[in-house]
Amino acid sequence: MKKIFLIASLFLLIFNLQGFSQGAKEYVFEEPLLISSAGQSAEVQIASVLAKRAGLSYTLEKIATIKDLENVKTLVLVLGTSMKGLGAAGLDMAKEKGRVKNLLKEAEKKNIPLLCLHLGGETRRGKLTDEMIRDFLPSAKAAIVVKSGNKDGIFSQICEENNIPLIEVEKTVQALKSFKKAFKHKIENHKSN
Amino acid sequence: MVVAAHPLAAKAGLKMLKQGGNAVDAAIATAFALNATEPFASGIGGGGFMVIYLSQEKKVTVINFREKAPSQAFPEMFSEKGEIKKEWRVAHGLAVAVPGALAGWNYALKKYGTKNLANVMQRGIEIAEEGFKITPTFSAINKDEYEKLIKNAGEETTYLNKGFPYEPGEIFRNPDLARTFRKLATKGVDEFYRGEIARKIVEAIKIKGGIMTLKDLASYSPVEQIPLKGTYKDYTLYTLPPPGSGGLHIIQLLNIIQNWPIQKWGHNSPAYIHHFCEALCFVFADKARYLGDPDFIQIPVARLISKKYAAQIASKIKPDRLSGFYPPGEFEDNQLDQGNTTHLCVVDKKGNIVSLTQSINYFFGSGIVPAETGFLLNNHMADFSLDPHSLNAPRPNHRPVSSMAPLVVLREGKPVLTLGSPGGTRIFPSLTQIIVNIVDFGMSIDEAIETPRFFSYSFQGKAKSISIESRLAEKTIKFLEKMGHKVTIREAFDKYFGGAQGIMIPRGKKLFLGGADSRRDGYGVGY
Repeated sequence: MKKIFLIASLFLLIFNLQGFSQGAKEYVFEEPLLISSAGQSAEVQIASVLAKRAGLSYTLEKIATIKDLENVKTLVLVLGTSMKGLGAAGLDMAKEKGRVKNLLKEAEKKNIPLLCLHLGGETRRGKLTDEMIRDFLPSAKAAIVVKSGNKDGIFSQICEENNIPLIEVEKTVQALKSFKKAFKHKIENHKSN
Repeated sequence: MVVAAHPLAAKAGLKMLKQGGNAVDAAIATAFALNATEPFASGIGGGGFMVIYLSQEKKVTVINFREKAPSQAFPEMFSEKGEIKKEWRVAHGLAVAVPGALAGWNYALKKYGTKNLANVMQRGIEIAEEGFKITPTFSAINKDEYEKLIKNAGEETTYLNKGFPYEPGEIFRNPDLARTFRKLATKGVDEFYRGEIARKIVEAIKIKGGIMTLKDLASYSPVEQIPLKGTYKDYTLYTLPPPGSGGLHIIQLLNIIQNWPIQKWGHNSPAYIHHFCEALCFVFADKARYLGDPDFIQIPVARLISKKYAAQIASKIKPDRLSGFYPPGEFEDNQLDQGNTTHLCVVDKKGNIVSLTQSINYFFGSGIVPAETGFLLNNHMADFSLDPHSLNAPRPNHRPVSSMAPLVVLREGKPVLTLGSPGGTRIFPSLTQIIVNIVDFGMSIDEAIETPRFFSYSFQGKAKSISIESRLAEKTIKFLEKMGHKVTIREAFDKYFGGAQGIMIPRGKKLFLGGADSRRDGYGVGY
């Protein structure tokens, strides 16, 4: 009995069943963050508020380029396309994809891990947003999404195929807890030392 | 019958009709309720226009409650050291024009209504206090404007849910707005234009870098105008005169279209869309060249809406390719232009009609909320031209040109249709398409509103791409591209093309047919 209990506990520890895709290990990111957009949707601003409330050290740069990766430990990409946002930034889909591709390439060179967010839910999915999801999510070390945005399973499928831990939350405000948890805080490090 | 952009607002209007109010009472009741239910698109912090058909007098009149530039406005006010500050026109104190909505509603109510202000705003108060479920439309717009709201209204604002956008299904309450309405109910509109609310407005604008003064508010007044009249086949249209440009351009477009065999071409056929978009390019060039505030400039209205001028434009349009050159104008290539504003229509049992379009300009206006008042201030200064030499440049007390176009249509002297839409510069192209859908293609009001729409314009003499809803046929798109057009495909039901509301009054029948637009939360009710 004791043996079964121990095995079960180990099983639960390794595979945290609460919101993680099966088999994917939790990834812990470090500060400081660079928050940028893939698609220029308004949700990139929400990510900065989440970071602020989580007490994280971050820079928000909606149209980040490789120079913005200087002294950054984590790249956070908020996935979501907005025609209005692209227009305001003087970009189109091709230019935006090119910018993000270059950013990811440089991040990979510098060993800066990627955390992807999709915070808009079901109403913020569409053909153009899905292109961003398919192009850039596979490079992520983890993803946090509002559950209704994953109704068709697009995030689950891509995360499973690429062994990416996927955290689903019911509402945007609930992403705060997961966001905090995803980062190794200095104060926690200090305590463990 | 009442048609409006939110079910609760439409029902507020219907309740007023059932309580014995007339179309004007019901329209204002709906307007107050829209401030509570669709605060991102209109309200007492904005302005608009109303076309009223009075059935007994057989008279049409227009109430112009468009906002005005502050007295300290000047043509170069959006530039600093030669550089244009786009943000100042949109999300800054300088973006706010003197609101006219409350003054306009009060004027209409006193002259043509039967109820008082306290009566008509009661349902608006209740909705603001009780709250309602956020729709996907509201949530999406809330998310789109999040940055502006965080910056200007703050994380604690009613317009965010604990600092984050509202999700569909969450309850939105606005107790501050309810309190403001109650204050207005007891103290009257002077409280807004001369009292404590006026002081809060000026203070909030000043904090955000604006220049509006208490005197600007105190000196605001709406204007009653003679409507602009045009004809299309055996229909007569009554709509706004300048500074409303939308109605004038609808008449222009219909005059041009009359020269073509559009029924033969077919609805939304490549030939129809091509000719229509070419016509739009010429019309936008005229808009940029000629339109401004008629209180200060001369506008050649009669020439612009003449059939002869329209025939000249029609003759310039080539059947199989772009004309290539359109008379240059000053219409900005404004990539920030959005599908904003709101429209409502009311027809009462005596046949009085109100067609009302109103706005705070961009969704959530400037994002500025005067302390503890609950309403958003407009950013209608963005409707002025950035070119300081333009007739539509910001000048003291000028009203900016508006694309709004509420209208009433008569046939053989009897009203048959009332219509309007939000949508910025897409208003008049969309309404023209709806009218043609009904008159030439025999559609019902709802079908005419729901069917796919398109838009184009010219800038500095060059045609821009045609925007279309994705429901238009693939081969139509390819034909247009073969003719030389660039085509941008938008959502299937995209609010970029407006959110029209209309009521049809079939002849010889004691029946009203309402049409509401799925692109927004449009809803119609009657009894």
